[in-house]
Amino acid sequence: MNTPAMTATGQATATRLATAARLLRLYAASRRTPSALAAIAGCAIALRVALLGHWDAYGALQLPLVIETAAATVVAATVASPFGEPERVCGRWLPFLRLAATVALTVTATSALVIAAATGGHLAGGTLDVIRNVAGITGLGLLCAATLGGGLSWTGPTAYLLPGVYALYTQWHGPALTTPWLWPARPPHDLGGALCAGLVFAAGLAVITMRGARDRPGDGE
Amino acid sequence: MIAVTRMLRLELRHNAMALMVPVVVVLFWFTTYRRVMAMPPLWNLRAADLQMYSVVDFVTPLTGAAAWMGSRESRRRLADAVLITPRARWARLLATWAATTIWALVAYVGCVAVVYGMTAGQVAGGGPLWWPAAVAAASLPAFTALGFAAGVLAPTRLTAPVTAIVAFFVLVLSTELIGHNGHSYWQIAPIVSVAWNTGSNPGVATFYPYLPDLSIAQVMFLAGVAVTLLGTLALVGESRAVRAAAGGVTAAGLAAAATAVLLVGTSAMDPHGMMRIPALHDAANDRPVQFTPVCSHAAIPVCLNPAYSAYLASTTAALEPVLNEIAGLPGAPARILQEAATYRVDSRDGEEVRPTEGNTNGEAVYHLLLPVQMLGPTLTTAQTASQVKWTDGPDIVANFIGAGPGASQAQNAVAAALTMVLGRVSADPNLRADLNGEAPGGPGPSELGGLIRGTAAQSAAERFAALPAQTRRAWLASHLAALRAGQITLSQLP
Repeated sequence: MNTPAMTATGQATATRLATAARLLRLYAASRRTPSALAAIAGCAIALRVALLGHWDAYGALQLPLVIETAAATVVAATVASPFGEPERVCGRWLPFLRLAATVALTVTATSALVIAAATGGHLAGGTLDVIRNVAGITGLGLLCAATLGGGLSWTGPTAYLLPGVYALYTQWHGPALTTPWLWPARPPHDLGGALCAGLVFAAGLAVITMRGARDRPGDGE
Repeated sequence: MIAVTRMLRLELRHNAMALMVPVVVVLFWFTTYRRVMAMPPLWNLRAADLQMYSVVDFVTPLTGAAAWMGSRESRRRLADAVLITPRARWARLLATWAATTIWALVAYVGCVAVVYGMTAGQVAGGGPLWWPAAVAAASLPAFTALGFAAGVLAPTRLTAPVTAIVAFFVLVLSTELIGHNGHSYWQIAPIVSVAWNTGSNPGVATFYPYLPDLSIAQVMFLAGVAVTLLGTLALVGESRAVRAAAGGVTAAGLAAAATAVLLVGTSAMDPHGMMRIPALHDAANDRPVQFTPVCSHAAIPVCLNPAYSAYLASTTAALEPVLNEIAGLPGAPARILQEAATYRVDSRDGEEVRPTEGNTNGEAVYHLLLPVQMLGPTLTTAQTASQVKWTDGPDIVANFIGAGPGASQAQNAVAAALTMVLGRVSADPNLRADLNGEAPGGPGPSELGGLIRGTAAQSAAERFAALPAQTRRAWLASHLAALRAGQITLSQLP
């Protein structure tokens, strides 16, 4: 039998949960997360369609990399805030929200691509390749968001895409580029490439969690 | 006019592409400059690869920056504020597009100037080739228009990255979709500069002019795409007169682009290795380029097309041992002359390259096809010399002696003996290690001449090769006619 005190505690918990859920929902809406999820779904579909083809050696690695980059830029684009300074001042939970949202979206993007490839397609680099590439390129996007602004977070990943694709090309048309900083060209189980990608992702995530994206007019649209 | 200039100047000062120029320059250096400048100093090779790589370098940053500029008014909530300005919306948008394009062209021209300037200092002839550079330049307004139109029509935070990556994806995909189809419509992609299946080849556009057929179609397509995309911007929210004009412009652009694609579908590789489109072809381009060959001062001069002058010293060094053996003897070639390659598509074996003229026994001129003119991976100067040594060296000897199938054992033994000389000496000490090495996949010195180890012919060949050069030469001078006639037996060889 509920006592009045227990009922009050339960009501308070329910209220806190409802508030937290509302906070999450509003945060996701302000960061255009639904659009981002739709774009990630589009990337997964594009990957699945691309895998219908029988690509030659490096094409089989380049095309997934292009789509992984697209998914990573989408994740990085969600960190731009439409509110700027007022939100920074008032948002006590903002760092946690930024961390949770970014990690959740990165995991979603990676999972979506892996699942898309697993439904009958052959992904040349495998699952590890997708995880490493999406994480590393997302990290680049987060670093760009912190330095250039959320609206320009795409510049780093798209600029990195070309050396990544080129490095894959050089594996067949030498001299091969083997630096682990060009991790898309490294084998899936390569520790150096994974460490570099992980380091970039960790750095980007840390900066975005602590500072958020740089505020620029119109970036949050 | 003053107002337009001022507007353009303002747009140039506040343009995202200006900030992307350093990024593009670094990308160009990393992928294009280093790769192109590492190639042999031949205009055809460098220009073709410059087109392909520079288009890939520019597409992503340029399309992204253009989309970013296109979404500016919406992003900054200025749409209502600028609506009341006297200037038509289309003209305002075109000024922003033009400024973005100008920044891209400035960066591109700078990059091309460096590559072409450096190449001009290294190459003796055969260029510069402007059509490949023009195609890449024409792709910039088209990419800008694509990104800009996307930014204006769908101004969201995802527009710039998605447009940039989709443009890149389509470019990469186009190369995959060409496949082995020589008539593929995907060859309209501006990264295609040569017959896709043969790739960049040093034998193309040196003996015959560079065929601009494919380039013309690509420029036509890119201009059509740019005009179409810019025209669509005025189809909504403008006055009736502007909409009508834009409709006409859009239709003209579409027609140009569609026509170009259809023309590319009729293309085919011509005997000189370039893409020919019958409707755009100028018969004057089928005439060979007139040139004065550059010749070495060997006992028998080796003469190459000036575009290949970088290979002259190494080629001469590779052939010099054999040429010294036969120079001055009756029936020896008066000179070694490089010839053009003939390309053809075989329905079963794919593309192949053959000498245009070939060689016959006792001819005064030996026609040389450098290995770099053949299909396959790009060779270094030393690799080229090594292949010349082990393919043309024995061939020159065989033509001189008349060796080969149907020849006498003595003829084949002498030919093998003279070829063995190749394995012993090289005039250029710097090249000695490479030249005396075995050609990749080529024969070893003991297998030359098709002689079987342990046979009498092989023993005779080794005996003849071991003679002093003067003795060999004296014997050849007195017995050459009889040897060629098949009247000498193995036992008569010294």
